Amino acid sequence: MASAIGIDLGTSNSCVAIARRGRVEVLANRWDEPITASVVHFAAGGEVAVGNQAKTQAIHDPDRTVTAAKRLMGRYFFSEEVKKAKAICSYKIVEGPNHSVRVKVGDQAYAVPEISALVLREMKEVAEQRLGHPVTQAVITVPAYFNDNQRQATRDAGRIAGLEVLRLLNEPTAAALAYGFGKGLTQRVAVYDLGGGTFDISILEIGSDVFEVLSTCGDTYLGGEDFDDRVIDLLAERFQAQHKVNLRKDRFALERLKAAAETAKKALSMDEAATIRIENVVQDAAGTPLHLEHTLSRSEFAALVGDLVQRTFKVCDEALQQANLTVRDLDGVILVGGPTRLPLVHDAVAQYFQREPKTDVDPDQVVAMGAAIHAAALVGEEQETHLLDVTPLSLRIGVAGGLAETIIERNTPVPIEQTSVFTTFKDFQQSVRIRVYQGESRRADENELLGEFEFSGFKNARRGEVRIEVTFEIDTDGIVNVTAREPETGQAASTRIHLSSGLSEDEIKSLIDRHQPSAPPVVPPLSAAAALVESVVERAEASAPPTATNEVADAASAGDASEEEAALQAMAAAEAEFDAADFERDPAPLDGPADAEFDLDLTTDVSGGSLDTPGGAGEIELDEADLDSLAALSADEVAGGPVGDEPAEGTTMRRSRSDDEMFGAPGSDLSIFGDAEDDEI
Amino acid sequence: MATATAEIRALAAILDELDYYRVLEVDVRAPVSEIRAAYHRAGRRFHPDGHRDLAPDLRPDLTRIAKRVTEAYSVLRDPRRRRVYDQQLTANAERVRMPLADASAEADRQSRERREGRTPNGRRYFMLAQADLARGDRVAAERNLRTALTFEPDNANFKELLAGLRGKR
Ligand SMILES: Nc1ncnc2c1ncn2[C@@H]1O[C@H](COP(=O)(O)OP(=O)(O)O)[C@@H](O)[C@H]1O
Ligand SMILES: [Mg+2]
Repeated sequence: MASAIGIDLGTSNSCVAIARRGRVEVLANRWDEPITASVVHFAAGGEVAVGNQAKTQAIHDPDRTVTAAKRLMGRYFFSEEVKKAKAICSYKIVEGPNHSVRVKVGDQAYAVPEISALVLREMKEVAEQRLGHPVTQAVITVPAYFNDNQRQATRDAGRIAGLEVLRLLNEPTAAALAYGFGKGLTQRVAVYDLGGGTFDISILEIGSDVFEVLSTCGDTYLGGEDFDDRVIDLLAERFQAQHKVNLRKDRFALERLKAAAETAKKALSMDEAATIRIENVVQDAAGTPLHLEHTLSRSEFAALVGDLVQRTFKVCDEALQQANLTVRDLDGVILVGGPTRLPLVHDAVAQYFQREPKTDVDPDQVVAMGAAIHAAALVGEEQETHLLDVTPLSLRIGVAGGLAETIIERNTPVPIEQTSVFTTFKDFQQSVRIRVYQGESRRADENELLGEFEFSGFKNARRGEVRIEVTFEIDTDGIVNVTAREPETGQAASTRIHLSSGLSEDEIKSLIDRHQPSAPPVVPPLSAAAALVESVVERAEASAPPTATNEVADAASAGDASEEEAALQAMAAAEAEFDAADFERDPAPLDGPADAEFDLDLTTDVSGGSLDTPGGAGEIELDEADLDSLAALSADEVAGGPVGDEPAEGTTMRRSRSDDEMFGAPGSDLSIFGDAEDDEI
Repeated sequence: MATATAEIRALAAILDELDYYRVLEVDVRAPVSEIRAAYHRAGRRFHPDGHRDLAPDLRPDLTRIAKRVTEAYSVLRDPRRRRVYDQQLTANAERVRMPLADASAEADRQSRERREGRTPNGRRYFMLAQADLARGDRVAAERNLRTALTFEPDNANFKELLAGLRGKR
């Protein structure tokens, strides 16, 4: 039987589900947990563990435990997000080829999709164990606000995990599907999804079999972990004031602080206050053990994270505005994600949306359930559901002057295709470089660069005589394709815009091979409790790293807390010197993209730029006379040198005027940016 | 609901001749609610998620139709874009497609013109009136608005603003 699963690959937690015989089931792991921590522990002995058991290793073995890898997916090494992650992660984040990110564990460097692949493979195995047969097909969810780079990285991860990724589905859309499926509703709902590391809001119109996303907005760096971070800051500051020791500098202390902060935060979902006690968190200069103790009240916590919660509503404002709606136009709000269990968040959401949020869906499982429903529909085991989604970010093309012109606006439904016509900027120009961005800024460098490609081999002609059609396509997964064509010669260049720092096809293939399980993964279904216990024991032993960590595991199994502490201390002491040196050796973060590769020439494109910048800081009011004189500028004059500027050295193409008569709008000469060296090719 | 192979083939063959109304099979006067309903209907018939049994050689056709459907919807659901598109169709019934970015830029331009004037002088005096108002000088604002109206006697926004100023006096 072909069965396709749905996987919610979360920053903190992942969940797998299947829809069959008209029912949706979440498949629990062998510890009977419906959700599995998205944490990977690489034991020194080579054993890899994924899940909660790996998460507990973060405390003992921080530099071999990778948490929240999703925050790094599809990111450039120099990005703000990676800098932030470097500041708070205790594992090593290093630079790979082409500004990519690698996670370094011991002397092995892992690509980020490789880490996510390990989590995905674990979820695949959880499903296989429960179902008793192999699983090869899956729908994987992504935050709606993920850009193309992040989506491609997720697809790559799926492939490395040995899965055929049927579809990438936006998490809020999946949640809405699980909520509305089979209910025959006609409603307009908001899905408020606050996870471990990302926030998404989508506004949907749901019908019996059609789910239309009206708008989506988000923040790919805002979630429950940021709440933890605020608590950690508070605790560390107080500790510093009290004992003059900076806990943030001690990796082991920091990991324990992290765990304690998260536990306390979760406790506040139920209780008015939470007491945090960490015995023996560090030793002072004299070797005396120091303890940390603090009682965190709900109001103190609210003061710590209030601004983060408010930030989500700024995003909600935007989403409503994009959908042309107000909160009164909505029929309901659905909560997704762990932090929405906090009364603080729940109440703020209720207040913002002026209604009680729906509580009939489990905020941790609803996304995987939606993915499962759609997976089953795609393979024909469930009734078809039609998900009409949108692209979260505007798709842009780099043009002269360091600008990026919009081709497809955000919140445009997908799949979509747009073709724009450009022409060369110089006589006998040999090639053009096409750079594609996603984002909401007119300035190219404030957007995410998706990739670039060079188009050459068109006819040899004077400037303006070559027509180049560039076609931009966004598919139903939100993945971008760009092709260029010269209609006259039929010469075509086609490329899937691939993240410059992403994995190449060859790299993916070799990773697939590397992670291929040696034995077929078919396992009998888990049923007997005995088998369950046995496997728990097996796993615990297998994954306990040799050397010092064994002591910890032993102590823990003996249930003796003080012994465990002692072992930890010993381990910390033994490794301290080495660790400190190791940390220093971490390469310094780049300040930004290397000039040569990414910086755009600042050539001012007078005719196009100033006209198209509504409300921009330097907007020039042009009257009819100005427009006419601009229109009168011949192509040669424009090409020869924009008024008041150096000749456009790096400028290689300009927007064709073929559409001008349609609008009677002169001055739409926008130039595509290209490197000077292109001309010599 | 599976769409018949023949239907996909036939539609793909004539797709480039259909205007957005025909793509969505709606009347040119259809209200937005009908446009949306038509989009949902088309979604059921042509969304690439359906049709898993479709012959592989028909996939590109299906995708092309689906993309055109979303394009049509993107224009027709947006009153400003739709207005620009209707003008285009009236001028030249053969031009059945319109680039989305240009359509919104053009719609922006038109709405700015409606607000701020379409002639250089009309716009200039309107701007002067705005500046007067910002300073609180109603008399000067009224004078400048009247001047603006001599260049664009039919500008509704100018008239409204002037009427407002007179009413307050
Ligand atoms: N009961 C709870 N109260 C508050 N926060 C919680 C609770 N349960 C989980 N969380 C937090 O939710 C976050 C994980 O949410 P989740 O929706 O699983 O994220 P993701 O989908 O990004 O993996 C973590 O920061 C976790 O601490
Ligand atoms: Mg989630």
